[in-house]
Amino acid sequence: MTPVKGGYAVDVPVVNVSEMARRDHATVWTTLKGFSVTLRHLFQSLFNGDTPTIHYPEQTRQHSERFRGTHILTVRDDGSLKCVACYMCATICPAECIYIEAAQHPNPEIEKFPKRFDIDMMRCIYCGFCVDACPEEAIIMSREHHQAAYGRAETIYNIEKLMARPGIDAKGPGYRPNRELAEAKIYDKEKQTACPYPSVVEERHPAVLYESMIRKRQ
Amino acid sequence: MPKITINDQIYEAEKGKTVIQVADELGIQIPRYCYHPDIGIEGSCRMCLVEVKGAPKLMPSCATPIADNMEVRTNTERVQQAVRYAMEFLLLHHPIDCPVCDQSGECWLQDYYMSVAGHESRYPLGGKTRRRKAFDLGPLVKLDQERCILCTRCVRFTRNVTHTNEIQVFNRGHNSEIGIFKDRPLDNAYSGNVVDVCPVGALTNSDFRFKVRVWFLKGTDSVCGGCSTGCNMRVDHSARATGGGVPGYTASDGQVYRTVGRRNVDVNKSWLCDEGRLSFHTMERWPRLQVAAGRIEPTATQDLLMTIHETFRSLDGAIAGLGSATNTNEALFLMKKYFTGRVDFRLSKEVETYQERQDDLLRRLDKHPNTRGAIDLGLAGDLGGLKGLREKAEKKEIRGMWISFHPQLVGEDPPEVIENLRALVNALEFSVVSTTHEFEWARRASVLLPMAGWSEETGTYTNYAGRVQMTRQAVAASGSAEPLHALMATLLRLSGLSGMDGPAKPSAIFDAMAAEVPAYSGLDYETIGLLGAAPQEAAR
Ligand code: SF4
Ligand code: SF4
Ligand code: SF4
Ligand code: SF4
Ligand code: FES
Repeated sequence: MTPVKGGYAVDVPVVNVSEMARRDHATVWTTLKGFSVTLRHLFQSLFNGDTPTIHYPEQTRQHSERFRGTHILTVRDDGSLKCVACYMCATICPAECIYIEAAQHPNPEIEKFPKRFDIDMMRCIYCGFCVDACPEEAIIMSREHHQAAYGRAETIYNIEKLMARPGIDAKGPGYRPNRELAEAKIYDKEKQTACPYPSVVEERHPAVLYESMIRKRQ
Repeated sequence: MPKITINDQIYEAEKGKTVIQVADELGIQIPRYCYHPDIGIEGSCRMCLVEVKGAPKLMPSCATPIADNMEVRTNTERVQQAVRYAMEFLLLHHPIDCPVCDQSGECWLQDYYMSVAGHESRYPLGGKTRRRKAFDLGPLVKLDQERCILCTRCVRFTRNVTHTNEIQVFNRGHNSEIGIFKDRPLDNAYSGNVVDVCPVGALTNSDFRFKVRVWFLKGTDSVCGGCSTGCNMRVDHSARATGGGVPGYTASDGQVYRTVGRRNVDVNKSWLCDEGRLSFHTMERWPRLQVAAGRIEPTATQDLLMTIHETFRSLDGAIAGLGSATNTNEALFLMKKYFTGRVDFRLSKEVETYQERQDDLLRRLDKHPNTRGAIDLGLAGDLGGLKGLREKAEKKEIRGMWISFHPQLVGEDPPEVIENLRALVNALEFSVVSTTHEFEWARRASVLLPMAGWSEETGTYTNYAGRVQMTRQAVAASGSAEPLHALMATLLRLSGLSGMDGPAKPSAIFDAMAAEVPAYSGLDYETIGLLGAAPQEAAR
């Protein structure tokens, strides 16, 4: 039998439980065999310290390096924000939780940077699509997953919080597309002195540009 | 008429046209960069090559006039190969920085790469020529020389359309680049159009640049409200008027981001003036009036309109209305009905100037889109305009008025208009002011009603030449604002004056108007369509 899952035919072994019980002579003997497993684990945890539980939060678990935790915005070698505000992440995001406002970068080679970059962590479903979509490896994920906060507003992370927050890389970064390439750089407040991102060039409100144009032409 | 065969189909075509024009009319796709219907032919990009029987080489269809019994093929292997090579050359030194390029998403290089090229680059990535990026050509336009494909559309626009010649090709061969002379920035009144004609991300609009990616936008076909010419435009606004997410954080609210010219050969070709292009910013120039206010206790709009109606009735006939030439025909028509013809709209010199040109391209002196419509409705009567109404109010001949005021979208309303309006409101016993923004002169009105403005309502404007065109709602009105035609329809219903009892649909109002006003007889929203309905000479 080949049941169809999501459009693909897959081979799933079919288990007939009553057939199996008859074959294995499910009797008192098998019941005792089962208890022996329980007892073995009891003694192992009592005397060998072989326990699967840990003393959270004093102890924490080591997550895989593909763990998809809260995001990190990475930086260039000089410590400036790597993101170029291309909106690829905001476009792909199925939860629509990334909010970006772009601005003109003083360096025309870079052209564009986010003057605002917010992720609503309560809305995020930690799918990691944003990380895959980013052409710059400017957004990666961490192995952090603690989301305790005193209010809703605190769960919306802005640039500063996405770039540098306490313990951001204590366990190393989480999911990122190119693990073979040079490690994505994470902003380090102590070591780096360069301005993390350009202070926003003073912007004229569009209406002001418009008014000055009218005045000139009248 | 010459007969021409395109891809084995025989068509009849008009003499004097080029192959690409005939193909466009028939809906046969030919890729192109340098050809634009409104700026003259160049034939430099070699994207539109087609095979013509008898010709040894491929011919550029944009520059080849049709001839009788011509046989053209647009889809042979030879043509496809030639177009692929053309694309490969165009992209040879192209930076392909689409993620930061503002054109991305509506870029012709992207589109044609996906549809007709799809080649692998044979050029080393590090060897590309670098040029100047992101510098100002003028107050509204920025140039990125690396992304330019030298189609010279922008050059031809300033040469053939504005005749100002600011943009030129400098140097020769591989060194050619687009630029301006040092002391002559691109600062004419139509400079924004070069951004519209540039097929790639070389020219970008400083006002719109980086505000939003274009794939988040939705276009609504509308008409500019900046002057009596009535240029056709597309209003690009955020697609979700109300979206998911946390407002202000992750949801995009209904907001206009830019307007671009929409081709209408009979009105504006493909162009817009800069003031009109940026006129949507006028709606954000002052704080919007969000809720009803005034001396009367504010309640729900319905109850308020009931009170207004009763007060007007108690003034036995000493009432009048003042519309605005930026209100739609539908609104003015209902207003005229309610005030039984005692409605005017002239703030200053609209009627004298609405046909006068400001320059020889598009702009007109009257900065209202619907002066002709108000005249056709017979609103330029013996009330004497704003001045006359003010005098009548000061002599107490008129005691109650509905004043609808929409600020000029281009430029400033003249100070004497504001002065007269202030005096009028002060002189009246009972004044209802429906307006879009919080204006200081209107504070002393008995009732202040928020009104939907341009791009927030659907209706028709009649341009200087009598062409009836539709302005369509693109975004939601701010606060509890309602379009004037809806307010007027409610008033009429309360008064029992008309058979207006269904919902106040603009199309239904227009049908009623077409039955009564000779200038609109035989028209409806369907015949007006996207390009408007030409004036009917017989009816005039
Ligand atoms: S992980 Fe998924 S849901 Fe979260 S921000 Fe990225 S794309 Fe959006
Ligand atoms: S994080 Fe990456 S994908 Fe998102 S805007 Fe920045 S550069 Fe683009
Ligand atoms: S002009 Fe087109 S192809 Fe070139 S970078 Fe911009 S979007 Fe990409
Ligand atoms: S700037 Fe744009 S319109 Fe002008 S030549 Fe270059 S690609 Fe063509
Ligand atoms: S469109 Fe014909 S050569 Fe450019």
